[in-house]
Amino acid sequence: MEITLSKAKNAKLKVIKINGGRNMIAKLYSMGIYEGVDIEKLVSYSKGPVVIKVLNSQIAIGHNMAEKIVVKEMN
Amino acid sequence: MKIILTGNPNVGKSVVFSYLTGYTAISSNYPGTTVDILGGKTKLAGIDLEVVDVPGVYSLSGESVADRVADEIIKKGDYDLIINVLDANNLERNLFFAFELIEMKRPMIFLVNKCDIAKNRGINIDFKKLEELLGVKVIPIVATAGIGFDLLNNEFKNIVKNINDYIPKISVPDDKLDKWKMIGDVSSKCETIVHKHPTFLEKLEVITTTPVTAVPFAFILIILSFYFIRFIGEGLINYILDPFFNNFYMPIVEKLYSVISPGILRELLFGKSITPLEGFSVLTTGLYVPFVVVLPYIIAFYIVIGILEDIGYLPRLSVILDKFSHRIGLHGYGSIPFILGLGCKVPGIFSLRILETKREKLIAASLMFLSAPCMPQTAMIFAILSKYPVKWTFLFFIFLFSVGVLGAFLFNKIVKGEAQDLFVEIPPYHRPVLKNLLFKLNLRTKNFIKDAVPFVMGGIFFINILDVMNFFDMISKVFAPILNSVFSLPAKISPIIILGFLKKDVSITLLTPFNLGLRETLVSSYFLVTYLPCLASIFVLFKELGKKITVSVIAFNFVFSMFFSWLFSNILLAMGVQ
Repeated sequence: MEITLSKAKNAKLKVIKINGGRNMIAKLYSMGIYEGVDIEKLVSYSKGPVVIKVLNSQIAIGHNMAEKIVVKEMN
Repeated sequence: MKIILTGNPNVGKSVVFSYLTGYTAISSNYPGTTVDILGGKTKLAGIDLEVVDVPGVYSLSGESVADRVADEIIKKGDYDLIINVLDANNLERNLFFAFELIEMKRPMIFLVNKCDIAKNRGINIDFKKLEELLGVKVIPIVATAGIGFDLLNNEFKNIVKNINDYIPKISVPDDKLDKWKMIGDVSSKCETIVHKHPTFLEKLEVITTTPVTAVPFAFILIILSFYFIRFIGEGLINYILDPFFNNFYMPIVEKLYSVISPGILRELLFGKSITPLEGFSVLTTGLYVPFVVVLPYIIAFYIVIGILEDIGYLPRLSVILDKFSHRIGLHGYGSIPFILGLGCKVPGIFSLRILETKREKLIAASLMFLSAPCMPQTAMIFAILSKYPVKWTFLFFIFLFSVGVLGAFLFNKIVKGEAQDLFVEIPPYHRPVLKNLLFKLNLRTKNFIKDAVPFVMGGIFFINILDVMNFFDMISKVFAPILNSVFSLPAKISPIIILGFLKKDVSITLLTPFNLGLRETLVSSYFLVTYLPCLASIFVLFKELGKKITVSVIAFNFVFSMFFSWLFSNILLAMGVQ
């Protein structure tokens, strides 16, 4: 099921699409967040930031940005 | 030969830089410790080297200030060699920036740092294979322990002779997604990760970031820190410094006092009373205040801050504070200037650069000035309130912080705009290394002694002159109406407010000899902390944000400070505190 990163319930996720501007995409890419990459959602504040693990590093993402990242829940 | 030192944020570049140049840079476990570009000189394998420490970035095409600075230095090309530092714990992520460097086709070597931690986490890297796949010389190091630098030193013998051998031979794809594909390929060939059970620190990471547990944890941590600081501070005073001062130092001063004949010289040196804290003698009070009253708290504070910095707690705090920060127009990382400002405003102001918009900088700056006393001030507030129950110290900081938040909230309403989103790497927790803790403690304590002690002594000497010449009454008369009627404070402290402008960070301690009551101490400390930024921070703020913002922050600050000092005083009076 495709869902935004901020709403995803599962821990294991795959990034499907990034609905952001050029600037945001560049920022995410340089940290290793791109379409097709597997990520793990570690922490989630409701209407607040999420913390994900990607390529062995932890990254905090604000709510609005997390709403623009579409992911697929993996099992 | 000119070298540039590059890498992702928080890979330990500053430690490598310190090691190479002997320059004492402060290293901490959070991204962006280095904001300014540092340069240093060193000699390796008999060659004179100039080393430039480039701010850590994730990519050459980024939009932040650090990104642009790094991009400019790297693309300018007026250097002979790039030393790129990578974090073994994050090899794959670090390779993206490394690939962008490889595209530059300049001589370079890679240092893979933190190999010890990576090994403990079950990460094994085949360095020979990595070297082969990248076509770049790779040296594994543990910078904090100085391991691997001998290999670097040896390598330099060859670098001087055949520098062109160090130009990477592989070519990397242009497209970012293709780059990631190739990176995945490289790392799968030279890196194996054995899945281990989460370590204690990894479990702690989850506990201290997950909302339900993180918020209580933060509160408990702050309360424990308060008690710990009081405990260490009082212990040092009662068992070491005060006895030493009274039993060893005072007899010498008393002897000196007895041989100098009464007159103006004796009055200038010893004031109206020789007993510490009763008069303004530069030789007794002038030394007792900085070394016995304040220094213990400075040490206690820097122990706590040093440990929190090295574990890497501060970036997690920015996640916890993110939602709250949005209400005052900041994202969680807006709390970083605030936290750094708790150390010293100057690095706090520099770190405003991590915020992207002018609006956020303005809000963060005013929050910092209204509610983040710098470390010497905080230590002095602890010191001056140490004779009262600890709840008054809490109350002081709660009041200070609430007013700061209110100020930022108002600014957020006045200046239109949206808060940016948090996007930041959170480093894993590290076990603090005693050597680094002691190094930082030593450096910071020395800075305090060099910076603050001469001022306190000079200030007390100056007040003593006013005292023995009976100028006190004159100055006090000028300030009496404001101090008395607005803040209900005694006019005798007016010289402190004048001195406070010159060096406000240590001015609070000059209140000690005046024997003020609890309310008087709380209100005058509050006023001294907030009424104006210190000269150094005004200067830096001006340089960083320009005249308009500086003036508006200062004016806003002053009005707020006046009003809330008045309010604070009246609240306390209503509570029956004198």
